[in-house]
Amino acid sequence: MRAATFQGKGTIDVRHMPDPKIVNPRDAIIEVTSTAICGSDLHLYDGVIPGVEKDDILGHEFMGRVLDVGRDSTLTIGQRVVVPFTIFCGHCFQCSEQRYSACDNSCPVEEQEVAEKAFGYPLAGMFGYSHLTGGYAGGQAEYVRIPYSDVLPLVVPDDIPDDRLLFLSDILPTGWMAALNAEIEPGDTIAVWGCGPVGLFTILSAFQQKAGRVIAIDGVPGRLAMAESLGAEPVNFHETDILDALKQMTGGVGPDAVIDAVGMEAHGFSIDNIADKIKQTVGMGQDRAHVLRQAIMACRKGGRVSVPGVYGGKADLFPLGAMMQKGLQLRTGQTHVRRYTDELLDMIERDVIDPSFLISHRLPLDDAAKGYRNFRDHQDEWIKVVMQP
Amino acid sequence: MNLANWARYGLAATLATAAGGVLFYKRQPHANRDAAPARSARHVRRFGDYRVTGATVSIRATADQIIDCWQNDATLWPQLEYLPFPEGNQDDLLLPPAELRAMASVPMRIRIVTRREGELIAWRSEGEGQADMHGRLRLSDNGSKGIAVEVIMAVRPPHFASALKTEAMMAEALELGLLRDLRRMKMLIEAGEIATAKMRPDAA
Repeated sequence: MRAATFQGKGTIDVRHMPDPKIVNPRDAIIEVTSTAICGSDLHLYDGVIPGVEKDDILGHEFMGRVLDVGRDSTLTIGQRVVVPFTIFCGHCFQCSEQRYSACDNSCPVEEQEVAEKAFGYPLAGMFGYSHLTGGYAGGQAEYVRIPYSDVLPLVVPDDIPDDRLLFLSDILPTGWMAALNAEIEPGDTIAVWGCGPVGLFTILSAFQQKAGRVIAIDGVPGRLAMAESLGAEPVNFHETDILDALKQMTGGVGPDAVIDAVGMEAHGFSIDNIADKIKQTVGMGQDRAHVLRQAIMACRKGGRVSVPGVYGGKADLFPLGAMMQKGLQLRTGQTHVRRYTDELLDMIERDVIDPSFLISHRLPLDDAAKGYRNFRDHQDEWIKVVMQP
Repeated sequence: MNLANWARYGLAATLATAAGGVLFYKRQPHANRDAAPARSARHVRRFGDYRVTGATVSIRATADQIIDCWQNDATLWPQLEYLPFPEGNQDDLLLPPAELRAMASVPMRIRIVTRREGELIAWRSEGEGQADMHGRLRLSDNGSKGIAVEVIMAVRPPHFASALKTEAMMAEALELGLLRDLRRMKMLIEAGEIATAKMRPDAA
């Protein structure tokens, strides 16, 4: 099969790889019909997430049709499925509490040690997202092996096009969970840093969850325009002092909740971010946490901080004093995708939301390298890239 | 009091303090006097010549299901690295997995010495193997998280490994191996299969 593979920092190549087969009884094999490049794929592309090896197949946003099933799979051949990016067994303590992205059993034992050293405990498995999360082959390929196929994939109706369903695999539930983690009360003012795909779905979700106002912060005019079209009030960090602007826009109180939808590769020319960039470049640190620092400083006293943005290391200058003294609550985590997909699918079926507005470019899988390069370097136009194998 | 007296009394006080310290130390219970090293908590790390190590997981299953998997699930045994497992129909014997066998210079025989239903199984090695080993698997209730399964093994390493660094490396490998073994057992019991990222069965 053809698959988009990692060949080194900044190098993606579509290569011929062996077709996947059924390995375990609960497995299924799907033929991918649509797959997308995620903002967090760029962390792998840029080499800031460790544990990615040459020839690893990338991609964790994908959907397709069932091609083969193992003995214990409940899927049937030909069914159409969206596959959540966090792999879970469905039976461990964490899964029983619907904390699917914390599953105890989905990361192969031999891949658990590095994450356990870095984070205290091993992580759950994820598709195409380094050996820290199991080393599973990703979905930017013609075929994918799906473990635990009796509980993991979401079976979707045949009459809804891929474009409206694909983002149930990651970014739509991620935006939804980010808004839920902000514990929005009706009428609240929410500030969202980052108007990339996750940020835009966070804005959409915040309004669905009864936010009164959403302030969208980014430095890319095209993305700010999309945020504005969703009803948010745009603020360009290149032109404005963010802390001052947020105080002014909220009557001196500050946002009720702040959401960092940027993560470990924040942009901007602040002193802390320049220091982070230098540390990241020379390998002394992984995270450029400027946005998280700013969001914590901007949040009102007693407010909530939600972090869907991906971090992987130990950020310096973390404003712990502001967290404590203002009595903030912090909630974060990889998305428990499958907990939210039934509700979100229902909203798509009822036309309450249509996630396909996000798609800016469609490419064949063979152009994956071009897709990655432009998605990273031309963010004003390349909002979301969807590929067809 | 002149300077000589100060020196005399000072010396006496120092000697008395040292003697008291020695007496106090002698009265303390010492781990290395324990006749059954593996029953102590593994954070002690050492009992005389023995290195103590182990691992713990919680499994959502009954104690009987866990013991049943360990004793009877033949799909588990080839995956084990250090956790001994029952040897066919010989009830009181356990078979050491390959990695554990490699620690001894001659074949190792392991016999179950204590069995408390649903709670504890303890074993020790017999014979002329250079690596003497005690171990136990203990089950205890961990509420909604299931049953806590703890394996502790105390190993007196072979002579060539008694140099401290080699011994530490051996203990580290043993601890990691036991943790992997327990996690494989947890996967098999809870999820019905052992997770793998391999794409094809011939490579699994």
